[in-house]
Order: sequence, then C-alpha cells, then structure tokens
Amino acid sequence: MSTKNKKVMVVGGGIAGLTAAWELSRFNINVELIEKTPFLGGYAIRYCCKATDECRQCGACTVEAMLKNVVDEPKIKVHLATEVEKINNNGRISVNLKKSSYQPDLATEGIVRGYSKNNTPLHVIVDKKKCEENPDAIPEGAVELDAMGFSGKLDVDAVILASGFQPFDAEQKGTYGYKKFPNVVTGMDLERIIRENVTVVRPSDGKTAQKIAFIQCVGSRDERLGNLWCSQVCCPYALRMAEIIKHKNADAEISVFYMDIQNVGKDYAGFYEKCKMDFRFVRNIPVDVFPMENDSLSMRYMNEEDGLCINEEFDLVVLSVGIMPGPDNSNLSDIFDVGLNEDGFFAGVDKLNSSSTLKDGVFLAGTVAGPKNIAASMAHAGQAASEVIKHLGVS
Amino acid sequence: MTDMKHTDMEEINIATDVLVLGGGLTGIKAASEIAGSGYKVILVEKDAELGSQKGPESLIGLEEEYKGLQDLEDKIKTDSNVQILTHASLVSAAGVTGDFTARLSKGEEVIEHNVGAIVVATDFAAAALNEKYGLSPADNVLTQSRMDELLASEADKQKLANKTIAFLVGLGQEGNPLVLERVLRSVLALQEIDGCDVYIYTGDLKVASNGLERMYKESREKGAVYFKLTEKPEIADNGKTISFFDPVARRDIEISPDLIVVEEEMRADDLNEELAEILRINVGPLGFLQKDNVHFFPVRSNREGIFVAGSTREISGLPSAWTDVENIAVEVRDLLGDGKKSVAKNKAVVDEDKCVICLTCYRCCPHGAIYWGDKKAIISPLACQGCGICASECPMDAIQIGGFRDEDMTEEVKSGVASGNGTPRILAFCCQNSAFEAGEMADIFKMQLPEGLRMIKVPCAGKIDLDYILNAFVAGADGVMVMACHPGNCKSDKGNTFAQWRVNDAYRMLEEAGLEKDRLCFVGTASNMGSGFSSIVVNMEKRINELGLSPLK
Repeated sequence: MSTKNKKVMVVGGGIAGLTAAWELSRFNINVELIEKTPFLGGYAIRYCCKATDECRQCGACTVEAMLKNVVDEPKIKVHLATEVEKINNNGRISVNLKKSSYQPDLATEGIVRGYSKNNTPLHVIVDKKKCEENPDAIPEGAVELDAMGFSGKLDVDAVILASGFQPFDAEQKGTYGYKKFPNVVTGMDLERIIRENVTVVRPSDGKTAQKIAFIQCVGSRDERLGNLWCSQVCCPYALRMAEIIKHKNADAEISVFYMDIQNVGKDYAGFYEKCKMDFRFVRNIPVDVFPMENDSLSMRYMNEEDGLCINEEFDLVVLSVGIMPGPDNSNLSDIFDVGLNEDGFFAGVDKLNSSSTLKDGVFLAGTVAGPKNIAASMAHAGQAASEVIKHLGVS
Repeated sequence: MTDMKHTDMEEINIATDVLVLGGGLTGIKAASEIAGSGYKVILVEKDAELGSQKGPESLIGLEEEYKGLQDLEDKIKTDSNVQILTHASLVSAAGVTGDFTARLSKGEEVIEHNVGAIVVATDFAAAALNEKYGLSPADNVLTQSRMDELLASEADKQKLANKTIAFLVGLGQEGNPLVLERVLRSVLALQEIDGCDVYIYTGDLKVASNGLERMYKESREKGAVYFKLTEKPEIADNGKTISFFDPVARRDIEISPDLIVVEEEMRADDLNEELAEILRINVGPLGFLQKDNVHFFPVRSNREGIFVAGSTREISGLPSAWTDVENIAVEVRDLLGDGKKSVAKNKAVVDEDKCVICLTCYRCCPHGAIYWGDKKAIISPLACQGCGICASECPMDAIQIGGFRDEDMTEEVKSGVASGNGTPRILAFCCQNSAFEAGEMADIFKMQLPEGLRMIKVPCAGKIDLDYILNAFVAGADGVMVMACHPGNCKSDKGNTFAQWRVNDAYRMLEEAGLEKDRLCFVGTASNMGSGFSSIVVNMEKRINELGLSPLK
C-alpha cells in the first residue's frame, strides 16, 4: 500500500515524539506533531552534557540532533502550543485540536527562551505587559504566546501518544524545604545550572558549591506517596552530574544518600568503582533539611554504623526527583480510550509489546508508558513507529 | 562554504535478503518481523533446534506471553520467506552492506548467500557465582537456574514445602534488574508453597525495571525478609548457616537455611568474539557486541547494515529485545527499501592514479566500508559515513570527501586567517556533530565569542589533517583549536582519537619549529554545550593574548 496519503499524529514533541515523527517520515508518512508548550524538545532538551574527560552516555546531545532532523523534515508538520481536545473514529481518527492552555512557569521576565537554535520560535512572549516595560529586551523575532497554537480538525490514520512525564514536584516533600531554601535544588534545576554556568554555583550567592549532598529517590519508591516504581534515571543523572562537579572542582565534597544505587551505562561496575573513590555513599534517606545563617543547610539523617541521628552541614542539597506520570495522562486516557496502569502510566498490550495499546490505531512512545532514559525513550519510539508502519500496511 | 549537498547521484541495485544469526527467541522475532516486511530471511542457529530449547532464564515473568512465543516459532517454520539453517554457523562475511557474501557451514556443506543486511541475535549465558560466596555445589546449594527449573515443575515445587530458603544476590557482583527479577519471581513463587520461609541477602536492589518495586513490596508483605548488606554475610558449613552483624540491632543475626540459592551472572554469548571478528564489528564492555556510544543506540553496530539485537549488545530481557527487533525492522526497511538505492557519487572518491592499494584506508575505516579491486581501493557509497578518516590517513592523498575536499579546506583556512584587525586569529576546526553545533548555539544565543574566532566545519574530527593544522599556522593563525566529540561519543567511533594523535604530532612539530605549543589545543565538546563552547574559546583567546600574536605573521 502506498504511504502517500497516510498521516499519523504524534502527541508530544519531547525526545520520544521527535524520534517517532522522524522515524515515520523516513517512510514518506506525513506526520502532524502536536506540542502543548511553545517549544520542541520536552524536558530532555534542557539537560546538560555530562561528559567529564569522556562521554558518559547520558544521551542529551542526541536530543539536539533529533530536533534538527525533525525541523528540517518537510513531511513533519509541527503545531506548537496546541493540544488535543477530542477525537472521533470515522474510519480514520478525526482529532480536534485547540490552542493549548499551557502556561510556562519560567516566565520571570515575561519571555520564555527555547533551548536550541532550531527550537523555533526561539523566544516567546508570555507576559506582554511585563515586556512593554522594557521593550529593548524583546529579542528579534520573538513571538507572542497568544498568537501561537492551532485550532481545527485533522484526520489521521494512527496516533502515537508521546506526551512524556512530569518531574516529581519536590515541594510535596515539605521537610526538604524546596523553594523555601534557595540552596535546595532538584536534579532538573542542577541540569540547568550546569548547562548555563558550566560550573556548579549556589543559587543564593553564585559561589561555587563546595559541600554537596544528593538525595536519591525523591518521589520514587515512596510507599507513603503510593509511588511504587523506580524512576530508573535518577541514579544515572545524579552520579553523572556528581562526576562533572568533581571533575571541575577536585576539592568538592560530595555525599550521595541512597536506598539502592541503580546501574549507570554498559560498564557500570567500573563507573561505580570510580564514583566510590570520588564521593561518599550513605545508605540512608535523610529525614529533613534546616536552613542555616549563611544559606547553608543542615541535614538530619541516620548514621549507618550506629543507627543514631546526625546533623551535617551542606552548601547545596540536590533532590534527585523522579519520573511521574504526565499531567495529561488521565485526560488523554479519556479522550483516546486507552487505559492507564496502576501507577498512572499508559498500559501497552503486554510486556513484550509496550508500544501498542488495546485501542486500534493508538500507540505509545517514551515515558508516557513508564520511566525511561533518553536512549530507552528513543528506542521505544522506534518500536512505536514500527508498530504504526505495520498497522498502516506500509510495504 | 562549499556546497555540502551531494548533487551527483547514481542508482545502484542491492541485495535485499537478510541474514539473522542466532535462532533464540530474539532471532526468531527478528526473522518474523523482517520477513513480514517482505524480505527473504536466512535464520542461522548453531544448535539442533530453534528458540524453545533455550533456557528458562530469558522467559522469566513472561508466562502469559509464552503461548504467543511458541506460535511465533511455529509461524516462521512455515513462512516461505524464512529459510532456517540449524546446526549451522557463519564462516565468513565478505563485502559491505547491500552486498555481503556470507558463507555458512552446515555439517560438511558450505552455503554461500548474498545478503543486504545482517542481524546478530545471540543469547546471553548464565554463569553461577558460587565461588564468589565460597560455596561448593551440594544438595543444599542451588543456582538460580536450578531454582527456576524446580519452580517450573509441579512435582519439584511440592518438595520445597516447609523449607527455609536463602537467596544471595548483588553481593557477588553488581548485578542488574534482570538478575533481581529472577530472584523476585522465585521468591513470589515460593511464597505460594506451604510453609516456605524466604530470606534474601542483597546488595543494592536493582529495581530499575518496570514492575520490580511492586514485586519487592508484595514479597515483603507476604513475609519475605530482606537483609540489605554492603558486604557478603558470613557463610559457614557450605551454606548451612549464614550470619551478619546488624549495626542497628547491634547483634549478630544467624539463619540456618535448608537451601541456599546463589545468583548468576549474565555473560555475553561465547559466540560473540568470533562473530565480531568475522563481521568486523566492535566488541563493547563485557564482551557484548556494541560499544557504549550513544550514536549506536539502540541497534546499530559500527558497520552499516549490521545490526545487534537484545542480549547481543547488552544484558537484556525479552521486552527490551523486542524493542530492539522492532527498531531493526525499521532500519532494515529503510536501508534495503525495494533494492534500488540512490547514492552520492562523490561521498568519498579514490583517485586511481594516486592509489597504490596500501590498504591504510581499509584498516582505518571504522565503518568497514572499504574493500579493494585490481587498481584501487573501493569505498562503498552505501556503507561510507563520510567521516573522512581514510582521506586524512591516506599516505598518497588519494581520497577526497565530497564537500570537504582538501582544496576547499585549504581555501577555508586561508580565508579564516585573512582580514585580521589586531585581535588574535583563532581557527577552530569543529566536528559538525558536536563543536560546530555548540558554536552555532553560542552564537545564536549571543554568548561571548572572540572576535577573531573562525569555525571551520569538518564532517568528523578524524578529517582534520595534520596539514590543515600546520597550514593554518603557516597562513598566520595565532591559535588553532581542534574541537572533537568527547572520547566515547564519536559517531565514527575513533575519529576523535585520530584527531588527538595528529594534534600530538603537531605539538612536536610546533616545538621543533619554535612555536609555542599553547597556540594549539585539542578539546572535546558536545552539541548541546553552547555555554561550554563559549567558555572554552574565550579561555583560548586569553591564552593567545598572553602569548601575543603569532611570530609567523
């Protein structure tokens, strides 16, 4: 069958959505890529490179490459600031789209900036009033969020849900003081700090952080919250970022508080040995964090050796927040009539085929179906593309 | 900038049959998917039987899917697009993608087959770690595989009633989620048997796989006791007693289990090494057939047209092997198409008059894209990735890369150092996959960049000739930067290594010529390092300012 008139909608422009869209376009399939925010790339495009003297295989650079593939590909039509409203099955899948209600939370100066040169539009004006106060600060070619978004109906032959995850909201763990104490940051924040500042500085005073604690499993593997899954990415990102910090500042003292360290990369044993020489590992999840006068933090945890409580001072505390089901999962589940699993992620047909669903013509790619790192999200998107190609009867 | 587009194209015919090596479940799935796309598949298995004979370790937790797996095997046995060769093995594989000549031996017979692509789908091997725990095989000491077998038989299962069973996991090796999943499945199955008490002595619990945390919780709620240790417990009388000191309870905890189950290590297939040699593909960490390089993930090898699936490339359960196979199906379809490929004529061109068939290019090509004819080396336009390592290594300068010919590069160097206005002229040779992207990002995001910086795009750092570096200084550059991908991140595997070697040579030559070696630097960057790029080049400018302008000007 010819692929000429076949059209597939990909919901979500993060790494899984980008990969799925691009894989399909290689077979002359037209793709409508829907993204609710004003930018492509999702969370993954915001991550920093985690190479020290050598590549640590975090995969962040491959997101840039995939974004480039997609924006250069005429068969992929991108609809930014757009979301799915409802669908009708009329032989094909008829999807109603509307302007997204998404409001960026980073808009401190009224303008949000994308993270890549291909991330068009690069600057989006979220708050017009704020910008009018200082019109010189508005970059050339900036687009108003209000002017973005697509409303209308598109008929497609299949849909890939690739709407991703949301990082755990660290404010839910109130005793860690996230957003109350400036030097308590999340892993996501640290990605940005490293990406923008090259070295790791304390948000409170811009000084190099010397004594740093990483707390693992923030939001993941948490029975009280009912989050009975390992997010699979936090040990890798925390250890890789800790290695960069150590690489740039050999005097940095880094402690990693953990339950069980998960494997990082293909040659994990070797990497872990190096980590054990570079940092202190404490097999205990701290109870709470208190502010100190100098904006440093005092952290309370149980000593492994004697089971007694200790207070220890740190310059910077990094909360390794995990992967939570996407905020739109239940809404999308209703719209597309595809079930969620007990954790709130989308459920595939079985363990072997986690990218097809029980709903004909609807497929899954990436973290929408459970925690994954960048490489696994891309592979899952490839699997979804393969299932879609079979579904469309492309030959 | 020279036109990068390859406008001069030609159409070639390629073989579209596909060779699948390994008749385990992954190989069966690969054969089925590829045959389903309309290609003929030759499925090669060294043993007498396909998949169903494989050990139970690759099927943990897939009881519901098992029927489907058997159906799949039955289906490919009757699929006219699939030729199955059992008791067979690969002897040699000459040629390149689109035109591999595979020689297969089956008994006395040698079968030759022309294929367009090759899929490697070997199994992992499970090895008992008894020695790591100082345990000898005995009635009370079981391997995880043995426990899986017992639990698979109803009669054997009942013999486990009223037993105290201890598991040792993650203390004899780092382990991985697959190892832990086998333990958790066994624990949950044992908890269904009357009177079974289960204790698990564990290092880090490798729960980083879907569903494992829930299984861990369920087993605890049903009474399994987990002792999380940082070192091995004391094991006496070949497993009759196990003890350790609990720092919180401040006392020794001793158990006398009836049975002790020892974890196993998942190892790369013994066949891998030989296959890697025949296929000329890289061996990665721990003997698996893929290097830890993000550009190869998920299923690519260093050679076009040779793909690696499942436990061939890493320790993998069937779910991720299935993901791999679907990705391979897409890759194969894209690569082989309908057997006609449009390829660029000028991707890499060998000058017959200059080539002396010294085979330097054949040896250095990381993609195995080069072979030779009567008069010259031949570079397959389908297999070639255009990195240009061969062109820079060729002692006769007989190879030119489309869009990056030597004369074009010389021009760029010249124009790059021209029009100086007193600020240091810094030429940065930038790999297009990393530094060039990072540099453009720094530029567009208006990050600080030296005024005299000129970026010269190269297809891979491996294309940066020693000549380019030296000529840049001769032409008056005050500083030269060779900006490659980080080690382990080169799309052409070792282009950055070649670049580093050449820079080391250049350092020596600069010293001999009396020029400060600080005027030259080699750095690793990534495409998303906009601010990193900015700080690197700004530091370079500082360094050059301290040295002053080049005396060669």
